[in-house]
Amino acid sequence: MEVSYEHLFASILAILHLKYLVPLLLGTVAGVIGGALPGITITMTIIMVLPFTFGLDPLQGLAAMTGVYVGGSAGGSITASLIGIPGTPSAIATTFDGFPMTRNGEPGRAIWVGVWAAFLGGLLGGVFLIAATGPLASVALEFGPWEYFSLFVFALSMVAGLVGTSITKGLLSGAIGLVITVIGSDPIMGVPRFTLGTDFLRGGFPFLPVLIGIFAFAQLMSDIEKMRRDGSSESTGPMPKLWVSQPKVLWEILSRPFLLIWSTFIGILIGVLPAIGGSAANVMAYDQAKKFSRRPEKFGTGIPEGIIASESSNNANVAGSLVTIMAFGIPGDAVTAVMLGAMTIHGIQPGPLFISQHPTIAYGIYAAYLVALPLMVLVIAAGARAWLRVIMVPKSILIPIVLVLCVIGAYALNNIMDDVYVLLIFGLVGYALVKLGVPLAPLILGLILGDQIELNMIRAIATDPSPWLFLTRPISGGLLLASVLSMVLAFWQHHRAKARGATAEEEDVDF
Amino acid sequence: MLGRDSVTGLACLALSLGMLVLTRGLPESAMVPVGPAFYPRIVLVLMAGLSLLLVALDWRTGRAGRPAGAKAAAAPNYRLVVVTFTAFIVYVVLLPLLGFRIATFLFVGGLQALLEPPRSARRWALVLVIAIVTTLVTYLAFEQYLSVLLPRGRWTEF
Repeated sequence: MEVSYEHLFASILAILHLKYLVPLLLGTVAGVIGGALPGITITMTIIMVLPFTFGLDPLQGLAAMTGVYVGGSAGGSITASLIGIPGTPSAIATTFDGFPMTRNGEPGRAIWVGVWAAFLGGLLGGVFLIAATGPLASVALEFGPWEYFSLFVFALSMVAGLVGTSITKGLLSGAIGLVITVIGSDPIMGVPRFTLGTDFLRGGFPFLPVLIGIFAFAQLMSDIEKMRRDGSSESTGPMPKLWVSQPKVLWEILSRPFLLIWSTFIGILIGVLPAIGGSAANVMAYDQAKKFSRRPEKFGTGIPEGIIASESSNNANVAGSLVTIMAFGIPGDAVTAVMLGAMTIHGIQPGPLFISQHPTIAYGIYAAYLVALPLMVLVIAAGARAWLRVIMVPKSILIPIVLVLCVIGAYALNNIMDDVYVLLIFGLVGYALVKLGVPLAPLILGLILGDQIELNMIRAIATDPSPWLFLTRPISGGLLLASVLSMVLAFWQHHRAKARGATAEEEDVDF
Repeated sequence: MLGRDSVTGLACLALSLGMLVLTRGLPESAMVPVGPAFYPRIVLVLMAGLSLLLVALDWRTGRAGRPAGAKAAAAPNYRLVVVTFTAFIVYVVLLPLLGFRIATFLFVGGLQALLEPPRSARRWALVLVIAIVTTLVTYLAFEQYLSVLLPRGRWTEF
């Protein structure tokens, strides 16, 4: 599938039209603020923006979400650099050098090295997004049900193996996701399964209320746990001075081309792999930057290399995630999982046929992504101080508002209270799972892919009952082999980490 | 005492076994070689197996002596978690009875006051203003602009 540059330019011009530019700009502003708010992840922000997109046309809604995604990835670096708390998990590594740089008296430099690195990493990621999605979708077009089944199994095995500290819990989490999808009518005959005779469960659990419930409550309740016992808010310091020479900052990044390109590559790679997400990309890119550096001992003292690695990788990660969802219909992370849900509400099924069947929307997403990058820079430049004031809003005000938006997001799907009850049930489930140390990413992926795994498995068996075809068809067999290898690799890494005496870390609720 | 992983494993094992029993009542398919119970049985057996493995691993770790975890900086504030969940459940129950506007005003105002009890008249005023503004802005944005019909109250008709 060739890239049509004519179509791309036309889409960029269309996105610049107020009809799309306004939602994109509002999404970017929401993303920068949400990304910068400690405890509010990009996933949470996109969940809050979701109900506002239901009444819009598909491209307007997706433009708003793309804006949130791009803005959020950069917004996280503001708090990471200024107060040493990452606004999102994808800005964790930015704190390592961003905050020391601020303490060294250069807060403006810390923020703007991050913003420009995010811009440039995102731009390089955008080139990959546009160039690679079509060819990858063409490969996926050759897939039969056997290959799809194996691809989804591979995606699941990979996430379960790479997320969290216990592989068994990762796999169990994926299995819970798959089990949730078997509740409701079966996809071939429509026979009700596990509905306990109620109409409430007949249609199964709708994906978006489950996703919102699991993520929103897991995130918000973890924040509430950390609130002080007297209920008082954290005090904040005076506003820092953020002025800096922009050409000088840009040169700081461009004079390190290898670092920029390598970190971007890591970001794209992690983005393309299903559901691992920016939280892994930025730490991995930082680690690589340190290993390749001639002055590794300076990392952590406030040098620009650490910020460049982290920020360029997490924005390139956005592009990588978009490639996976547009070419294969598999979300690269929780944000693209919500985008997938939003697309299906508008009757659009992402996957190999997405670009050929919905070229206007596919190129519109490319265009929105490219336009969102300079918008993100402008939004931060125009309102960094204003956004900082918003960031300082106490949690006691923010949390009730977020919960109301979650309720509206679930309710507005079908205008029924049942979806709100599903939100509540899975809110409790999500928080319980976090407390039990079960990673959420594999569950969500199992939930997204469960129906497709069953459908493709039955299609394959209905076409030819021989189960060996899953192994003997080259691509399908290769993917299943890759699934086994990814599990072996995960076990090996786990064993090695244990041998080194690595301590278990708290599970992150973001992908 | 059971470890955290054993609790998780046993809960998932009970769920998967219970659901496996329910698959016995599902009919066979005349159209395809596998019926509606085929795939659920695979995933439920997978879940049961992983649950058992988790329990076994936790039991082995328990026998070897659990490593002392890093001490948290502060004990989690579970009281506020329970308060928030309770307030949310009450909100969800009241939503179809009182209607979106009244229930949302009460929820936003109430939860703010519960999470950070106001200690001055100015703070109370802020809580009220935020509750009113949130209710009005969401109501107007969704009902007027985005054509979402938010719940009306069965008791209040509002």
